[in-house]
Amino acid sequence: MRLSFLSPSRCEQGTIASPLRRALDTVSDTEGRKEQASGAELVIQHLVRDLSLRGIVEIRGDLDLVPPSAGEGLVRLSPRRGYAFTDDDPADVAERLRARGVLAYDATGALAGIAIASEQVMRRLTDLDLERLPTAGPFAHVTAIVRRDEAGWFEVYVQQELGHYVAEAIVDALAGLDMPPGLTPEAGA
Amino acid sequence: MSFLLSCPYCGPRPVDEYAYFGEVTKRPAVSPTLRELTDYVYFRDNVAGVQREWWQHRTGCGEWFLAERDTRTNEVLEATLPEPQRPGPGSGLAGSDPR
Amino acid sequence: MRLEPQQRERIDRSRPVSFTFAGWKVTGFEGDTLGSAAFAAGKRVFSRSFKYHRPRGLLCCSGHCPNCLMTVDGVPNVRVCTEPIREGAVVRGQNVRWSLDLDFMSVTDKIGGPFTPVGFYYRTFIRPRRLWPLYEKFLRGAAGLGKLDEHAGHSRRYDVEHRRARVLVVGGGQAGRAAALAAATTGPGVVLVDEDARHGSLRLEGVEVLAPARALGIWEGGLVPVDAGTLLYRFRAERIIVATGATEQPLVFPGNDLVGVMLPDGARRLVRDYSVKPGNRAVVLASDDAGLEIADDLREAGIAVPRVLDLREVRPRELAAQGRKGRVRRLVVDDESIDCDLLVASAGSQPAYSLLAQAGARVEFDPELGVFVPTDLPRGVEAVGSVTGEGLGEVAPEPDYRGGGKCFVCVCEDVTTKDLKRAIAEGFDSIELAKRYTTTTMGPCQGKLCHLPSIRLYAQENRMYESAIGTTTARPPWAPVELGLLAGRELTPTRLTSIHWRHVEAGATIQWAGPWKRPYAYGDKPDDEVRAVHESLGIIDVSTLGKLVVEGPDAVALLERLYPNRFGDMKPGRIRYGVLTSDGGRIMDDGTIARLAGDIFYVTTTSTGADAVTAWFEWWNAAWGYEAEIVSVTGAIAAVNLAGPRSRDALQRLTEADVSAEGFKYLDAQEIEVAGIPTLALRIGFVGELGYELHFPSAAGEFLWDRLVAEGARPFGLEPQRVLRLEKGHVIDGQDTDSESNLYSSGMSWLPKLDKDDFVGKYALEHFARREETERLVGFTMEDDYLPAEGAQVVIEGRPAGRVTSARRSEAVGAVIGLAWVAADRAESGTRVEIRIDRLLRGARVMHGAFFDAAGERMRG
Repeated sequence: MRLSFLSPSRCEQGTIASPLRRALDTVSDTEGRKEQASGAELVIQHLVRDLSLRGIVEIRGDLDLVPPSAGEGLVRLSPRRGYAFTDDDPADVAERLRARGVLAYDATGALAGIAIASEQVMRRLTDLDLERLPTAGPFAHVTAIVRRDEAGWFEVYVQQELGHYVAEAIVDALAGLDMPPGLTPEAGA
Repeated sequence: MSFLLSCPYCGPRPVDEYAYFGEVTKRPAVSPTLRELTDYVYFRDNVAGVQREWWQHRTGCGEWFLAERDTRTNEVLEATLPEPQRPGPGSGLAGSDPR
Repeated sequence: MRLEPQQRERIDRSRPVSFTFAGWKVTGFEGDTLGSAAFAAGKRVFSRSFKYHRPRGLLCCSGHCPNCLMTVDGVPNVRVCTEPIREGAVVRGQNVRWSLDLDFMSVTDKIGGPFTPVGFYYRTFIRPRRLWPLYEKFLRGAAGLGKLDEHAGHSRRYDVEHRRARVLVVGGGQAGRAAALAAATTGPGVVLVDEDARHGSLRLEGVEVLAPARALGIWEGGLVPVDAGTLLYRFRAERIIVATGATEQPLVFPGNDLVGVMLPDGARRLVRDYSVKPGNRAVVLASDDAGLEIADDLREAGIAVPRVLDLREVRPRELAAQGRKGRVRRLVVDDESIDCDLLVASAGSQPAYSLLAQAGARVEFDPELGVFVPTDLPRGVEAVGSVTGEGLGEVAPEPDYRGGGKCFVCVCEDVTTKDLKRAIAEGFDSIELAKRYTTTTMGPCQGKLCHLPSIRLYAQENRMYESAIGTTTARPPWAPVELGLLAGRELTPTRLTSIHWRHVEAGATIQWAGPWKRPYAYGDKPDDEVRAVHESLGIIDVSTLGKLVVEGPDAVALLERLYPNRFGDMKPGRIRYGVLTSDGGRIMDDGTIARLAGDIFYVTTTSTGADAVTAWFEWWNAAWGYEAEIVSVTGAIAAVNLAGPRSRDALQRLTEADVSAEGFKYLDAQEIEVAGIPTLALRIGFVGELGYELHFPSAAGEFLWDRLVAEGARPFGLEPQRVLRLEKGHVIDGQDTDSESNLYSSGMSWLPKLDKDDFVGKYALEHFARREETERLVGFTMEDDYLPAEGAQVVIEGRPAGRVTSARRSEAVGAVIGLAWVAADRAESGTRVEIRIDRLLRGARVMHGAFFDAAGERMRG
C-alpha cells in the first residue's frame, strides 16, 4: 500500500512501542542516568498519561471536504491544514479521507502525546491561551498541538523525537509545584 | 521584541512564534546582469516605515503569510495570504535567504 | 528599643524569631523584616558604600536604596529592610574588609577625596598597559556589592509561569486599589501586583492580588514580567494600569549619607509597622507638606523633635549634617548647631514613572511641581494616582548647600555633587554622557533616588531649566532581579531517535549533533566499526535525516524549480541525488529524492538542515502558489543504513521482496516489508559499500534495529561514518562547504542543468559557470602519517593557499586522507602542497575522486 511505511498500525503485532515508554517509566536523562525527582513516579502515575500511540491523521487540502465523522476530533490549524484524532485504524482513515479529495498522512508515529491534569503545569510551560483550545503553539519551547478532553485533561502532542524531552519538562514542572505526595490534581486522576 | 503579530488563522500571538523571511522582493527577469542579480540577492530597502514582509507561523499552524508592518513601531497593519502567482521570468515573490 | 504597641503594627510580639546579623544573634518578631529586627536590636550600620566604604544605615526602608544590601544565606544583594524575618537566617555584610563597624577599606574615604575624583580610574590606570590585569583585580576587589557564590547556581529552583490578564494593575496604593476595583466591575481577569509584602493580605472583590510581586518592566504587546521571588510571572495584559506612586527623594546636602539620616517614609515605617524607635532626638528637614507630617508621627511615638525646618520658608545658605564614626550627631544650619541622632530629610517626591517610560511614554518636567511627570502614554497603558503627579504639592527649590564633608547625589555609586560638577566642567554637557562618565543613576536603585537630584544639580550648574536637560532613558528591569529568575528552568529541546536507548544500552558515546543526540562510536575503536562495514555488515541509525513527502499535481514542477538538476524524467521507484542552492548560487543542503509514484516524492535532507529545508520548500511553494503539499515525516520515520558486503543477504533473510542485484538496483527505491514492518528501502551508499537505507515507522525502531543486529549487523557511530564517507570523497554540506561554496568550486559542475527553465540559483550559477573559481574543494593524501586538524592551513611555496575541512586516518586506504580548499591553480591532481600541523609543514598530494574503490564497484554491485 502506498506510504504504508508511515503507519505503525501496518506493523506486525508486538513490534511497536511508545516513544515515551522510558520517559514515563522513570525519569532519566538522555544518557540513561536515573535522576529520580522526589515523588516523581507518583506524579507520573496520577497526573500524566501517555497518548503517543493514539491514531492521528495529518490532513492537507480543503478541510471543508472532511466530514465531521472522520475522527472523534478534527483540529483545524488553518483551512488547509489539520489533524484528525481517531480510534479507528489511522491508515484506513487516511485512505478514506483521500477518497474525499484531500491529502492525508498517518501521523500516529510522528507525534508523541501526553495528557496532563494540571493547569498550572500548562501555564509553566506554555503562554498559549488555555481558554482557546485546540490550537498549535509553543510548549516548552517546541511546537505542540494542544487540546483539552472532556474530563478536563490537557493533551499535548509534539514531534515524536522531542517527546522524551517534553515529558521530562512536564515531570520537572510538576515537581516544582511542591505538591505533597498524594495531592489531588485539579482535574481527573 | 515581544510584540504581537496576528496570524490569519491563529489570531494574535507573540512574535517569537514566527519565522521572519524578510521584506518581499521580486526575482529578476531572465538572465539578469550581475548587477541586477546582486541587487536582488544582497540588497534590501530596509525602510523606516511600512513594508511588506514574509512571515511563517512556525511555532503554530505553520502557514505562510504576508504582513504589512511599520518597522518603526512594529504595528502590523495587515496580514494576508500570498496571492498565488504562477512562476515565470520576473514573476514570483521572493524574500530573504533564510540563512 | 521597641515602642509601645502601635495601632497598626505588623509584628506579632508573641512569636519571637532569631537569626544572625553580622555575627550577632538577633531576635525579632514574626512580621518583622530582617532589617527592622536588626534595627530594633540596636544595629545601625548595615552596609559599606560602593566606593568610599562609608558606613551606611537604613535610609528608605522601602526596598529602593542600596543602604541595606546584605548577603542573606549566601544570596548577595538582598535588601534586608523588606526581606521578611526567618528563623536561623545568616545575614552578612558585603563589600567589607573586617566588619561593618570597622572596615579597613574605609581608608579610601579619608584619602580618597583628592585621589579618587570622577574618571580617576580611566585616566590613572591606563599605563603601563601590561599592569592593567593587576589594577583590575585590585579595583574590582575594592569597590562593588556582594559576591556571588559561584557554586550557588542550582541551589534555588526558579520557575516561570505564563499568565493572562484583562487588566493588570501595578501598585497597590489607594489609586491602584481603586482602579482595580473599578476594572473588576466590568468583568473578570483583573490582577493587582505590588512589591510590598504588606499587601499580601489585601482582599479586593473580583481582583487577584499578588504580593510581594514586582513588575520589572513593560514590553511591547502588554508583556509584563513580575518578580515573585523564585517565581517569575510572565503576564500578557490587554490593559495595564500603572499606579506606582511617587518616591521620596533624598535631600542633597553635605553629610547627607550619614547613618541616622532617613527619608520620612523610612522613619514612618519603622515606627508604624515595626514599632521601632528610629532615634531619640530628631530634626526634620522638609521640602513639601508630606515631609512635614513626619514630625507629628515622631512626636506621637515619643521622640523628641527639637527642630523642624520647612525649606520652602527658610533658605539657609549653609546646611550640613555632622557626625562621629559615620553616625549623625548634629545638624549645622548657618551658624546654628542642633544636636540630633536622627535627621529626617526629603526633597519632595518624584513620580515613579520608570515603567511608563519603558512602555514608551514621554517624560516632561513640570515646572510647577518641580518634578518630572509622564505624558503621551502608549496605547493600552494607563496611569493613576501620584505617578501622574497628582496630589504632589509644590516643592522647595534645592540650592547647592554649603558645609563641610561629602555631599552625595547618588548613594548607590558614591557620586558627589563635586563629581558631577567636575564632569560638567570637563565638558560632559549632556545628562546621558554624565551618567556614563560618573555612573550616577546606574547603581542598584536605578535612578529612583538619584535621577531627579542629578538633573536638578545639572540644571543649576548649567543655568538651564530642567525641562531642557530632559531625563535619561528608562530601561528594564525597574528593580534588580536575580539572573536565575530570568533564566527559569533549563529547557533545551533535545531530539532523540526512536532507537536512542539501544545505543545507550550498547555503551555508545553519545554526542550532540545539531539538535540531536547521536552515538559517536560504540566503543573506543571506531576503526573496528569501519572494518566491519568494509568486510561484513554494519548498521547506523540515520533517523535524524530530514524526511519530506512532497505530493501533488505540481510536485514535479516544484522540485524542478528548487533543485538545479532534473526530476521530471525520473521513473517511479528511482532515486536521484540533489543539491539545493540559494538564489545567490550557494550550496544550502543536499540529499536524495526518491520518486515513489507519479506525483509523490520522498525527499531526504541533512540531519541539521531538516528544518531549514522544510521552511525553504514551503516558502517557495507559498510564493509560487503551486498545488503541492510538503509534509515533514522526519520524526514519524526511523531510518537505518544497513551497509557492507553482507547487507544484501541479511536483508533478503528478512523480506519476501526481491532484493537481488537485478531485482533491486543501485538508486532504486522500493516499498517492502522487512521482518513484518512496512519499509521504504532506498539503495544508496553514503559509506561506499553495498547498502540499503531502510525507512520505517519510528514506533518499530527498536524492534527492527534488534532484528538487523541479530542478523549480524554491527552498529557503527558517526565517527566511523565520517571515515567511510571520506574514503569515498563524499562531501558533508556545512562541514566541507560553507556559505561561500558553490557547485562549481565544490567539484559538482556536472550537477546543474543550466538549460532547464528557471530554478532557484540558476542566474547565479550561470555567472559562476562563466567565471574562473579562485578556490576548489579537492581531496588530499598525506605523504606521512601526520593528521591535520580541521581548519589547518594549506601552504604552497611558503604562502597560505587554502584550508583543510576534513581529515582522518584510513585503514582501508593506508594513509591519512582529507578534503581541503586550495587555490584553483594548484588543484590539479598530483600537485604537492604542504599542510601546517603543529607549526610544521608536512607534505600532501592533491587527488580527485574517491580514495577507496574509485570505480564504485562495491557500492553499485
